[in-house]
Amino acid sequence: MIADILTVAWKELREMLMFGDSRGRSKLSMLVLLLIFGVVIPLQSGKDWVTSPVSAMVWAWMPYMWVYSVVADSFAGERERHTLEALLATRLSDRAILLGKLLAALAYGFTLTWAILLVSLAAVNIAVRGSGLLLFSPTMAIGALVFSILVSGLAASVGVLVSLRASSVRQAQQWMSFGMLILFLPFMFIQFIPKAWLESVGNAVIHANPLQIGIWAAAALLVLESVLLMIAMRLFQRSKLILD
Amino acid sequence: MYAIQTNQLTRSFGTLKAVDRLTLEVQRGTVFGFLGPNGSGKTTTIRLLLGLLDADEGQAQVLGFDIREQPDEVRARSGALLEHHGLYERLSAADNLDYYGRIWHMSKAERESRNRELLEPLGLYDRRNEPIGRWSRGMKQKLAVARTLMHHPELVFLDEPTAGLDPVASAALREDLEMLAEQEGVTIFLTTHNLAEAEKLCNQVGVINHGQLLALGSPADLRSRTSAPRLYVTGQGFSPQVIESLRGNALVSKVQAHNGQTVMDLTDMARSHEIVAQLVGAGVQIDEVRKEKADLEDVFLRLVEEENRGEE
Repeated sequence: MIADILTVAWKELREMLMFGDSRGRSKLSMLVLLLIFGVVIPLQSGKDWVTSPVSAMVWAWMPYMWVYSVVADSFAGERERHTLEALLATRLSDRAILLGKLLAALAYGFTLTWAILLVSLAAVNIAVRGSGLLLFSPTMAIGALVFSILVSGLAASVGVLVSLRASSVRQAQQWMSFGMLILFLPFMFIQFIPKAWLESVGNAVIHANPLQIGIWAAAALLVLESVLLMIAMRLFQRSKLILD
Repeated sequence: MYAIQTNQLTRSFGTLKAVDRLTLEVQRGTVFGFLGPNGSGKTTTIRLLLGLLDADEGQAQVLGFDIREQPDEVRARSGALLEHHGLYERLSAADNLDYYGRIWHMSKAERESRNRELLEPLGLYDRRNEPIGRWSRGMKQKLAVARTLMHHPELVFLDEPTAGLDPVASAALREDLEMLAEQEGVTIFLTTHNLAEAEKLCNQVGVINHGQLLALGSPADLRSRTSAPRLYVTGQGFSPQVIESLRGNALVSKVQAHNGQTVMDLTDMARSHEIVAQLVGAGVQIDEVRKEKADLEDVFLRLVEEENRGEE
């Protein structure tokens, strides 16, 4: 089973890294994001880059963006290019196909996020010379590690689920964009929330233990991913995929 | 021992019976041709046999495994080239084969030697590292056939492998299939509506229309069982009266005339000289007389026509 998952992931990663998304845009966007988050912003932020909570937010959010760009292709792309039926006619189990695609998307998001993170560290250290070696604090580094895995996993689960149901890559991408919009919708309504409420929430966050918040957030993500994965497994039926 | 055995296998889509009480047996080591017009149920049958679709009724065993209970076992021992070639066009030929080799847990050395073994006779080995997106359709089909054989399957399903190919590419692929079938010794379940292809490649054929099996046997069997001997007469003077008189002859079951040639289906080939005498007597100037048994295409068309008439 594990060998089969790795086989599917191997092929997926090979296509992702060599060709990016179905329109081949990934290499360009990879370069642009590498420049922005790996060089420009770290150089502007200086020392703050390794201490500010804002950069922690960036690392938590970035994997979603990477995974989003390729995961829509996982099933919808195979269906569009007529390769899905041949794959379903092999000895691979449903789980191996599903988890292999999920693992590939997760690994892609995680690896690229960490590659940019390391480039940004190098850029900051080159820019701010004479202050010794600048590194993220252990808590921030562990947080970035855990959340980049979890957010990659979340995006991969959502993406695979969407891709399973979408009839084309374009439709899958549209559904993913809609999902992202829903995710950011609450922030648009912040202005309508009474100021007193916002202050009390702000105070609660300031006085809360960041470690505790992190653990709760990680646990929530883990539960959400597990639920999405279970739904995807239930939806993955060879006969349904063939007839779709 | 049978590679495939089905019993009353049925699958419907809404009110349409795509496969209707299909009962057939395919011997191991043979090339079985499944013939039928578009939409007759050929692809659905393959999907059922591979366990990709569930049957509504009936049973089937493929390589001794029940398609409902053990579809994974069936797929593990089979190779399939389905409606579309299913190749990853952004990857190279070698990568495509390598992926399928990995799926079947072949070692690196095995994959490499099998790549060579399959691609060399097809003339594709020197181009194995090219992305296949720019290849011709014929080359892709050849590669897809090679991919289905990658893991030494016991049974191979080929769904219209020459469809959409030009005559030259079709002939080349047919030759390759013949060679590979002989070399690999696998059972091949081939669907096609190219009758010449079936005649050339298959030991046994089944004719399907509207999901129902109309005939089953070797091409020679089918020809002798379902087709009349045929007389081709070329010459001048085939007036409507002459044609009408031929139709009235008890030895002639069917007459078709076009471009100076008259084709007659006879009930008794040994008495064809009586027809020739009748034509000479009616003033027809005969240039050529040829006796032939009908080919598989005639058999097929007759079976389908009869079935369609029966439905009406």
